[in-house]
Amino acid sequence: MTTSNVVVLDNGGGLIKAGIGGERDPSAVIPNCMGKPPSSKKWLMGDQLHSQSDLTSVSLRRPFDRGYLLNPDLQRDIWSHLFSNLLRISPSQSSLLLVEPLFNLPSIQRSIDELVFEDLGFRSLFVADSPSLVHLYEASHCPYGLLAKSQCSLVVDCGFSFTHAAPVFQNFTINYAVKRLDLGGKALTNYLKELVSYRAVNVMDETFIMDDVKEKLCFVSLDVPRDLQIARRPGKDNLFRCTYVLPDGITYMKGFVKDPNEAGRYRTLDGGAPPPSTVTKEDMDQHEVTEKPEDRRRIDLTKNEFNLTNERFLVPEMIFRPADLGMNQAGLAECIIRAVNSCHPDLHPVLYQSIILTGGSTLFPQFAQRLEMELRPLVPDDYQVKITTQEDPILGVWRGGSLLASSPDFEAMCVTKSEYEELGSARCRKRFFH
Amino acid sequence: MDDDPGSIRRMSTRTRKAASKMAAALASTDNRNQAALARLEALENDNAGMEMIDVNDDEDASLDDDDEGYAQKRQSKGTKRTTRQAKALENARKAPRTFLELVHEANLESLPPHVPSYLRAAVGPPSSTSRRHFCTVCGFAANYTCVRCGTRFCSTRCQNIHNDTRCLKFVA
Repeated sequence: MTTSNVVVLDNGGGLIKAGIGGERDPSAVIPNCMGKPPSSKKWLMGDQLHSQSDLTSVSLRRPFDRGYLLNPDLQRDIWSHLFSNLLRISPSQSSLLLVEPLFNLPSIQRSIDELVFEDLGFRSLFVADSPSLVHLYEASHCPYGLLAKSQCSLVVDCGFSFTHAAPVFQNFTINYAVKRLDLGGKALTNYLKELVSYRAVNVMDETFIMDDVKEKLCFVSLDVPRDLQIARRPGKDNLFRCTYVLPDGITYMKGFVKDPNEAGRYRTLDGGAPPPSTVTKEDMDQHEVTEKPEDRRRIDLTKNEFNLTNERFLVPEMIFRPADLGMNQAGLAECIIRAVNSCHPDLHPVLYQSIILTGGSTLFPQFAQRLEMELRPLVPDDYQVKITTQEDPILGVWRGGSLLASSPDFEAMCVTKSEYEELGSARCRKRFFH
Repeated sequence: MDDDPGSIRRMSTRTRKAASKMAAALASTDNRNQAALARLEALENDNAGMEMIDVNDDEDASLDDDDEGYAQKRQSKGTKRTTRQAKALENARKAPRTFLELVHEANLESLPPHVPSYLRAAVGPPSSTSRRHFCTVCGFAANYTCVRCGTRFCSTRCQNIHNDTRCLKFVA
């Protein structure tokens, strides 16, 4: 352990991404929650939960609610477990680069400072926000691209708790132009849970399983009225129907998609080739367990499986049209337009050309395509629209942080423990321009 | 410790929980709004299926053997205060509060209009697109509205299912 350790911590509401600055990938990506399976009396950490074989009906406690840290005590327990057992670092000899949500409330900032300096005892702290880190990473990725030359970009971070459209200029987030949409992966999972529970099997307690369903089966529709028509068709013509098998705790410990080929048929619709055999090894193993093909068509209630049809695209649809849920908020495309319009007019053309998608909820298939379709009519004709997707949207912010942490003047930007002790939280925060 | 305890902090947990619900009930007098609000609220729940667990119930349960240092620290803090009232105050202060309470406490409305804040960053109502309606029973385009609770359905069949199962479910 050297003295120049910088711990980079992207403390998301859903996943914690943590590792040592300068490395390419975080060494730990764990759910930011504690869970208790019904069989256990102890609350387990997120990573311990995943080593458990049975994830049914786990009750959860999350330190985050609506994107902000509300339960510092719980967060302290998770962090101390993370630092001592997973990263194996000692805080007193390390600096911390912490990613905070935009517009963090002063009272929450204060409790985070207390946590970092007083409870865990880090040597120094730097607080960053996610849009500027994503920009930094993308700019360093292609140093001669438009993004790096113009030094500005529009980062769309569609995460677990909410979605931000944030313009970045010269490595700073233009905070007066940031627009927020109060929908993220958590709301989508809960929405899917509600739909499936009402229409098929009660899965209201199965957060982890439904997360898996959402990740494997949901996609963004490019033409909703047409797809709704297709979803009505009976039998084989219905390109969207597919079956998910819930774990029964005896033969299958994990839920899985019954027929991966069936699940990928929607891709043929928009001119795409039939899905390449992206069947993972894990899926293959389980696939062999399933019975003969003719049995697959039937739904057997005793077997705990359910069918999805229009839910597969109506769930991610909510990010584009939150009004359909009854929320009084504009969709993602309009969110981006408003964020850009709040900036100086000279920046508009460049911003539209450098839209970066990041965050786990942008992983839905066809997300970028649909966004471009919706954006094009709203953007003035003279401007180009270019949407860049990150190679790994979940880790994008962390990688930016890792870059920043390995820059030579990083230590100079930090607030040290002694400064905090002398000046207090609010004064130190001024340095981060929040 | 440096900030004075606000009026919210002095209330018991139960009062705080009930107060927010009553405020929500008062803000929307009719069933339809209430049902819509409850649906949106439910989307942010961690454990939708079960009752919200009181977070303080296992305060002393040790989490992990490695965290002993932290656990001890917390206990020693607790033993200083022995009176019941002080303990209750301490608990109320430490208890996680809802995000809306925190936003309220931060008093963001009083900031001058040019200062960006959490409230001003919200995207605001949609301008161009109107709301599309999907049947809550089967998910397809819904042309009809339930007269009692305002949820949508597409056909008589779905209407019957709706009436039998969850009409007015969200209205207490």
